[in-house]
Amino acid sequence: MSDHASITTSLTTPQPPDRWTRVRSAALQRPILQLVVLVAIAVWLVVLVPSLPTNPRAITSLLVVAALLAFAAMGQTLVVILGGLDLTLPGYIMIGALLAVDGTAKLGLPLPIAALITVVGCGAVGAFLGFACHRWAISPLVITLGAGSVLSGLAFFLSGGDYGKPAPDPLRALASAGSTTFGLPVPPVIFIVLGCAVVIWIVLTRTSAGRRFYATGVNPRAAGLARINTSATWTTVFALSGALGGLAGMFIAGFGAGWSQGMGDPYLFTGLAAVLVGGTTFASQRGSFTRTLIGALILTLLSTLVLAYRLKEEQGLILYGAIIIAMVAIYGRERHVRDRF
Amino acid sequence: MNRVLRLFRQRTYAFALLLVVVLLVLNVIVSPSLFGLERLPATLATIAPFVLVAFASTPSMLGGGIDISVGPLMVLVNCILVAVLIPAGLGSVGIALPILLAISAGIGALNGVLTTIVKINPVITTTGMLFVLIGVSLTIAKTPVSAPDNWTEPLADTVWLVPGAVITIGAVALAWFLLNRTAYVRNLLATGESDTSAYGSGVNVTAVKILSYTLGGLFAGVGGIALTAFLQVSIANLGTTYALLGVAGAVLGGVSLLGGRGSMFGALLGGLAIYLIQQLLTAAGVAPTLIVLSYGLVLVLAVILGATLLNPRKR
Repeated sequence: MSDHASITTSLTTPQPPDRWTRVRSAALQRPILQLVVLVAIAVWLVVLVPSLPTNPRAITSLLVVAALLAFAAMGQTLVVILGGLDLTLPGYIMIGALLAVDGTAKLGLPLPIAALITVVGCGAVGAFLGFACHRWAISPLVITLGAGSVLSGLAFFLSGGDYGKPAPDPLRALASAGSTTFGLPVPPVIFIVLGCAVVIWIVLTRTSAGRRFYATGVNPRAAGLARINTSATWTTVFALSGALGGLAGMFIAGFGAGWSQGMGDPYLFTGLAAVLVGGTTFASQRGSFTRTLIGALILTLLSTLVLAYRLKEEQGLILYGAIIIAMVAIYGRERHVRDRF
Repeated sequence: MNRVLRLFRQRTYAFALLLVVVLLVLNVIVSPSLFGLERLPATLATIAPFVLVAFASTPSMLGGGIDISVGPLMVLVNCILVAVLIPAGLGSVGIALPILLAISAGIGALNGVLTTIVKINPVITTTGMLFVLIGVSLTIAKTPVSAPDNWTEPLADTVWLVPGAVITIGAVALAWFLLNRTAYVRNLLATGESDTSAYGSGVNVTAVKILSYTLGGLFAGVGGIALTAFLQVSIANLGTTYALLGVAGAVLGGVSLLGGRGSMFGALLGGLAIYLIQQLLTAAGVAPTLIVLSYGLVLVLAVILGATLLNPRKR
């Protein structure tokens, strides 16, 4: 009889995982690999360019570039956790830049009003896209691509092809590399992005809204059966992606000398790369904005490293692609059909 | 009304066909000379890259995956041919054609292996590949290199009275027609509909998917040759533009992003529709900025219409 009992126990109680499995899953739960890569690239860069740590101006401009990339990828991070993809981003960035530059210079709007119009306008477009994707089970890929073309075209049309104006001074004070925050020689945009990171971290991990959001991403059907309003989740997340994309466009216009046709395009694919390198994969419970922040830092340092080696920008692109595939091959592999059968 | 709707639901390409017919009529009204007999080969040569990039996107989408790197792959083939092979004296048909098709099919196969055996999400795999391909294209030919006289020129005109574009598009269509005679296309559609069910029915899901990406790459290789024929220069900076054009064309032609539904004929019509929209607006004198806008609107409306009124699946 005792044999039977021990067999029953071994069948019903789960075996404790061995040490390697535990170490591996703990490492995958946190962005440890990403941090190791980040530190390695930073050390490499310092060895290669010893003057870098003593040059605060160079460091702040690196951080501003990384912060803008992370800001542009903020909405995309949330959409990717939900299992979607938002290709509207270049359109949102163009609209934000249009309102930041032409809205203030030509129409005479105060900057806060321009920001409000950007948030409401881009948010409304995003809300519609999120609702439509959820309601009619549309894959977001092509519909957001179309919406992105509509918004970019609208921004070109409204600007009338005149991109000469610089961004207004208050905006430049927020985002350009030489500006200060309350006397500190660090541009405010860095603190804004860090603040957003803290808020997103708290909302995602410490509130029921965050739990509902992850649940919808991992399994929308189960979430729906648990009485989570998945339609509202999709609508809200896409609306947030739109509003944040528009604001990112305003900051990007403030960082550069102005804006131009096609200025949003690089941020779409590089932003997606930052999300993926950070370790957020589609519909994953491990995704977070903190990871995207690390991903954006990795990519920015990597492109500096490429420049330090006197390689060209395009050779950096090859490295980006290889790094995305290599990182995801390590931590983000899906299950074989055999195991889902 | 219900019968019409049912027809549209059963034939995934019907909506694209209607769109193409309407756009053709409008185009002929606006610019009657466009489809005149003497200009026909040149017009078809302009259409060929649009259709071929939609063709190249289709096999992987039918299998439930996606490949957004076929557009950049077309541009890479264009750059390799114009900026590497022709200057190196390897530009003749007999040498260049096998090299280009082998490279493009190889890159497609690599995408397939990464998505199935390494098991990386196809969007991520092909985004990574997109960066690599655009980077390689720009490294080969950062500034446009113009091609000397070469064998691709007749493909933009006529070869023995047959328009060259008919040959490039026809080659891919014939290949797909022959595959349709085998079990492959049915296995691919079954895999796209539900890979677990297909696996349970004894379909070698891994091989079917890898072959679908390889075919996409091969078709993109033909597309790159058609692109070179039409342009006669290398255009490395158009990589991102072409990246999503193919997926848009295929979806407009009724190929489902969820896999398992759609046809090559639909992709042909979808690519054609995208060309006709742009051509119509250009001919009507609409500002280029509004062309981008209205192209986007058509995509949004077509996708919503396809998912609501014309959706055959009960949810």
